[in-house]
Order: sequence, then C-alpha cells, then structure tokens
Amino acid sequence: MKEKVGRLNWGYLLSLTASVLLAFLLGALILAAAGFDPLRAYAAMWSGAFSNARHMGDVLEYAMVLAVCGLACVLGSRVGIFNVGGEGQLLLGAIVSCQVGVWLVGQSKLVVLPCAMLAAAVTGGLYALIPGVLKVKVKVNEVITTIMLNTIAASLCQYLAKGPWKHPNKTMVAATGQLDPRNWFTTLIPNSNLSSAILLAAVMAFLTWYVMQKTCLGFEMKLTGQNPRFAFFSGLKTDSIVIVCMLFSGAMCGLVGMFRVYGVEHLYRSSISNQYYFEGLTVAMIARYDPVATILLSLFFAVLKIGAQGMEISAGVPNQIYLIIQTIIIFCMAAESGITASLTAAAQRRRARAQAEERRKGAEGNA
Amino acid sequence: MKFEHISMQFPGVLANDDVSLEIKRGEVFALVGENGAGKSTLMNILYGIQAPTAGRVNIRGREVERFDPRTAIGLGVGMVHQHFMLVPSFTVAQNIVMSREPRKAGIFFDNAAAERLTRALAEEYGLEVDPAAAVGELGVGLQQRVEILKTLFRGAEILILDEPTAVLTPQETDELFAVIRRVVKERDMTVIIITHKLYEVLAISDRVGVMRKGRLVGVERTCDVDEKLLASMMVGRPVLYDELDKTGTPGEELIRVENLTVEDNRGLTAVDGLSLLVRAGEVLGIAAIEGNGQSELLEAITGMRAPSGGRVFVRGQDVTGKSPGDIRAVGLAHVPEDRLATGVSAAATVADNLLMGKHRERRFNRFGFQQRTPTIARYAQEIYDRFDMRGAGIGATAGSLSGGNMQKVVIAREFSFDAPVLVIAQPTRGVDVGAIEFIHARIMEKRNQGCAILLCSADLDEVFRLSDRIVTLYEGKATGEFAAGGFSKEEIGLGMTGGGKGEAK
Repeated sequence: MKEKVGRLNWGYLLSLTASVLLAFLLGALILAAAGFDPLRAYAAMWSGAFSNARHMGDVLEYAMVLAVCGLACVLGSRVGIFNVGGEGQLLLGAIVSCQVGVWLVGQSKLVVLPCAMLAAAVTGGLYALIPGVLKVKVKVNEVITTIMLNTIAASLCQYLAKGPWKHPNKTMVAATGQLDPRNWFTTLIPNSNLSSAILLAAVMAFLTWYVMQKTCLGFEMKLTGQNPRFAFFSGLKTDSIVIVCMLFSGAMCGLVGMFRVYGVEHLYRSSISNQYYFEGLTVAMIARYDPVATILLSLFFAVLKIGAQGMEISAGVPNQIYLIIQTIIIFCMAAESGITASLTAAAQRRRARAQAEERRKGAEGNA
Repeated sequence: MKFEHISMQFPGVLANDDVSLEIKRGEVFALVGENGAGKSTLMNILYGIQAPTAGRVNIRGREVERFDPRTAIGLGVGMVHQHFMLVPSFTVAQNIVMSREPRKAGIFFDNAAAERLTRALAEEYGLEVDPAAAVGELGVGLQQRVEILKTLFRGAEILILDEPTAVLTPQETDELFAVIRRVVKERDMTVIIITHKLYEVLAISDRVGVMRKGRLVGVERTCDVDEKLLASMMVGRPVLYDELDKTGTPGEELIRVENLTVEDNRGLTAVDGLSLLVRAGEVLGIAAIEGNGQSELLEAITGMRAPSGGRVFVRGQDVTGKSPGDIRAVGLAHVPEDRLATGVSAAATVADNLLMGKHRERRFNRFGFQQRTPTIARYAQEIYDRFDMRGAGIGATAGSLSGGNMQKVVIAREFSFDAPVLVIAQPTRGVDVGAIEFIHARIMEKRNQGCAILLCSADLDEVFRLSDRIVTLYEGKATGEFAAGGFSKEEIGLGMTGGGKGEAK
C-alpha cells in the first residue's frame, strides 16, 4: 500500500521538476529575446527573495496566504466542489473583521483579535454557504455561482469602504478606518509583512491536513468527493458533508483576509488582496489537491513572486516574468498527464508486439 | 471457414493464444467461455473489426487479407451484436436496407421499394415483421429479428450471434432457436453463437468450442457433452453446481411493501401499486425483463429513490422515503445493480471500499475520530483473502479490478454488515462461472442463517436456482407469484410478458 503511494509521488515529482526546469528555460529564452541577461535576472530574482530578512519575511507571509487559500480550495475539491469564490469570501472576511476592530477600539487585543477572527470566519463561511446550499439543494453549478459572488463581494466591499465604513480622513479613497496599532498582529521581522498570524495559519494548515488525511470525517469527505452516489448509497449524509466543507473552506478564506488586515495593511482597502485566492487555487491545482504538496508549492511560488518583485527593482526586469513562468508550469503539468498516458501506452504496444514476435519465432522454431 | 494459429496480443493481455478452428457450412457452432476468455475477440477478428497479431483466417477457402468489416460482409459474414446497432426512430425497412438503399432516379430513397424488399426477405426466411413499424417501439425480441434480417439482407451466409438470449424471455429464446434451426436447415447457413448459458448450447448447437484464457481448450460434438463437463472445461476444474442446500423454514416478515408506486427518471410510473413481502430465511426472486420497474422497486425499498405512493416497512418499521443511511441503520444491506456507478468508489482503494459503512465502528478508530490505519489494513486483507479476490492488493484502486472481483468487493462489504435484510440486484452480472458459484454459495449461507433476501436478476436461471418464491413483474405490476418447484419456465415467461396479453406486437 505504502509502496504504491511512494511510486505515484515519484512520478509526480519527476514531472513537476521537469515542468519547472522547462518553465525557467523558456523564461530565460523570453528574457534573452527581450534583451535581458537571463542569468543576471535569475540571480536578481534569487537575491530578491533571500538577500535579507525583510524579503524572507515577505516570502513567508505570501506563502502563508497562498497555502491557506490553496488548502481552502483543496478542502472543497475533496468533496467534489470547486470553490472559485474564495476571493469574495476573503474580501468580505477582511472588511467585516476590520470594521469589528474599528468598532471595538479601546478594547484589549485579547478581545479584539478573537472577535475579529470569529467575524472573518463566519462572514467567509456564510458567504461560501450560499453556493454550497444551492449546489446541494437545487444542483446549481458552483463554479458559476462562486465566480458571480466574487464580483458581488468586491463591489459590496468597495461600496462599504467608500460609504458607510469610510475612513474618517477625507483624502483616503475607498478605505475603512485604521486599526488601533495595539490590536495588530505582532510583526515578527521588522519592516516585513510577516506577522504572528503565520502561527495561526500553521495551526489551521495542520488541522486541515489532519482532518482530511487521518480522520473518519476525512474518509467520508474523500468518498463523497469520489463518488457521491456511492457515498449516499453507503449511508453517508452527503449533503451535510458537502455543506460543512464549503463552510470551512469559506471560513479559511475569510481568515486570510483578516490576517492581511491585522498583519499587513491595518485597514481595509482593495489592495488587501490582488486575486490572491486565485493564485492559491492555482497552486492547489498544480499540487493536484494534495495538502502537503500545496503547502510546499506555496513556498516555492512565494519565492518566485517576491523574488520577481526584487528583480524588477534591482535589474529592471518586469515582474510579469513571474506570471509567465507560473503559466508555463501550469501548462506543462496539465499536459503532463496526457503525455505520460500516451508514452505508457506506446511502451505497452511495443512490448506487446515484441512478445507476439517472440511467440511467432518460438512457434516456427517448434515447427 | 477456418482459423489457423490465430493469436491476438493486446497490451498486457494475450486475448487469443494460437487458436485453430474449423467451422463447416450448415452447422450451428457454439462458442462458450468465461468473461475475458477471448470469444468476442476471436469473433471480432472474423468480422474484421480487429486484425490478429499472428495467424490466418480462411473463409470458403479464400484467405482473408484485409481485416475490416466491409471485406468481411463481402465474404458473407454477418454479426448481430449484443447491443443492437439499430436506429430507433427509423422503420424496420429503413434499418434493414440501410447502406444499400433502393433509390428512385439514383438519388431519392425509395421507401415503398424498401418495404417491399423487407417483406419479401421476411417471407423468404419466415421471420415475420412489420416493415413500417418504428424500431424503437418494438420489443427486444423483434429488434433482434430485425438485426438478423439486416445481416441476411447483406447476403450473410455466416451469422455470428453474440449473447443473443441475454435480453430475451424463455419464449423469445425458443422462437429465436426455431429461426436459427430453420435458416441452417433450409438455407445451408452457418451460425456461430457466443453464449455462457450452457443449456442453450445443448439445445441449439451441433458442435461446441470451449475457450479458456485465450486458448481453445476443446471442440466437441454437442451430443457428446453435458452441462457439467462444459462448465468444468470452461473453469479448468470440476464445477459442482449441485443442488443448493436450502434449510430452515421462513420466519417473521422482514420486508413488507404495500401498494408502492414509484416513478422513473423521466417521471413515468415505473412501479404501479405493487405489494409484496419477504420473510426471514427465504429468498424472494423477482423475474422481469429489464425496464419493467424492478430497478425502481429496489431503489425505493433501499432509500435510493423516493416513492410517490405506498409504504415500505423493513423489520416492522416504516421506512418510506427515508435515506439509505436511515434504512441501513434499521438492518438492511444492499447490493446495487450497477456496481461501478453505485456499488464502489472506483477511485478509492479496495481497502477503503471494504471499510465504507463500518468506518465509524470503534475498532477502526480512536475516540471515534482518528482512523486506525493498521487495523483497517488487517481487516481489509482478511476479507480480501477470504473472498479470494484477485488484483493488485488492498491498496490498489477498486477501478483497477475486473468486474468479477469488483462484484466480490461489493458482496463482501454488504454481507459483512450482518444485516438481517438483504436486497440484492444482479449479483453475478458480468461475473465468471467460478465466481458465480462462490457468490451463490454466500447468498445461500445468508438465507440459511435466517436473512430475508429480495433478489432481482436479469439471469432467469439464477432467479430459479436461488429463490424460494418468485414474483413476476410486468410494467411495474406483479403478474404472478410462484413457489419453488411449483412452476414451469413457460408460466414465468408468460408472467414476465404480461400474461401473454401485452406481447402481441
């Protein structure tokens, strides 16, 4: 049993490594064609991520965002639901938790942070519940509803930040009130984005992995996702399982928004997330919805992203190269299953023909 | 017609292994074997669908050089597939003349001529059909007749029938056999019939070839063999097939269905005011042709489908419209008719599939929460060995198993719940002889332990063999009830076709 799993992982790792190398190679060609020295650019990317503590802190913070968003997506996919609406859940979680902090100004951090977390989780969760319930009860495709709800959430947040919850300072456009510095997450590396929120994210990531991989509930989730009819036939309450998973997936996204507000921005504005959920979702897809691989790949892509930003500043290379490399990796990983399958089939055919040939020769020899 | 040293190598499987066989003009040749023994592959080669990797085929003394159906049809080979290749919305005549349509002025389809040709053909062979009827409205028996006429229209002299009786009632089977005898005798045709029903081999064929694991293990004159001999040739060891040991007397009633009405997916009434009851220690068999409400009936009893009227009681409790989980909790286990869609999760491991439903039991987890992986693996391995499953082990996906082994996974899991009520649909569909024997023995074990068993199978012999009582269904209504031993196949067949009233078409 273990052996089988090990073998699968090796094949996956091999194709992932090949994809990454190919992506860097093609990226180098594009850089060269655009008149940059690829080696210098990649060196700048490396130092952009690792040259000092501040950069490494930014890498870890971004990796946290990607990992929690990715795991939220994995959680949905485990029960066969594709949550594309994490961005909206994230934004709503961010703005509501921020406003909770504004309302509770003057209270101790021990009151504000738990309240804000609860608010973020509940908001994100409830917002994810809408497509979840629609999917289960009336079979509405969740991809369509979640995408639409993203737009609604973004517009709603924009309205709140410009209107009822607007920053008291008139010069601030589309932003909510600032949080009391005493209620922020503690910054772990000075001047970087890294805050103590990463500890909470780590606990959340561990719990998600543990529940999905090790528990009875995870078992039920997995079988519901694989074959809902079989799960229902076997007596599982598949509807509730799907809805609960969607609830937690949304709650995780909401919490990412809260981490961004209380750890980095300290108020709500639209820069709180720049399609971060979609990047996390992409990572989850490349990781084939495996929780551990999602976490590791989040780190890798965070290095790329933060490194690319550094590269832009120090070497003048546009950071879009990050997107190009990421896209090529996705492309290769998507094509990989097809390529592997056709290679395997070709090898089998060759073997079959050789065997038939041998038998024929053997038969002639006997005759 | 002659096969010489035919071998067919598929990736990883040798489907035909040096098969040499000669079939003479004017004989009925039966080809039998377990699933995957290579019968269909051999016939596909004859019909030109596949080219063999080695060996030669001679038809009427001429070596076949190109393997494609067009060439085969030109040489007088016709094949009736198990799944009919007909256009349901076309008429009988249109289906028969298709690809060789009579034309008016070279371009327009001449329907009158087509019907005339069909009528003439039907008369010539004594196969009565209505040329103007739409094929989709005919029963399967008649559709099969259209298929046969179609091959005859194309000038077939060698007719291959792939599992022709799988969908027929006993009466329709008899009619088919009469037709086969007539064309062979009057037209000097050659008929090759692929089947796994051994009594049919004895009833119809002149000679019989038995295949096992790609090899032709024997060709015998039918008059020299009996069912037992054929079965052991197929399996490669003696098959007992003795009378099943039925002991005990029926006890309290465990399933009661009252006036049940169920709709199918299209919203049409599939089960129409049906009542039945099953007692402890008995097997109630349902005999019906596919699509007469038996699937919907079982789904309604097990909670997979909500009935639109009537009541279902399991162990005295009203479970009408409850979920499968609730009904299982009352003490019912269910072997579904479609194992791939409902009976397993193909993507999950064999171990997970065997565990499903028991995963909440204390011995498989800590604190009702964390799974005990080693215990689960031990349990799964024990079941795997006990049911003699063949595959890549308990860690392989269920989807990688063969049909028979996948069915064993379903049976093993459902029987392991020790539920007093069992609802079993198609227990041995697509399962080979060795495994059928095994599964039948397990079912009888359950019966003799005092389980109430509701059995439904498209294989009538299976229903006859296992049941204590048989209810025939026709268009969602019970058309008869028979006690074991007190019926003939004809009576059952009559019940399955609405007492002879409905099947006049």
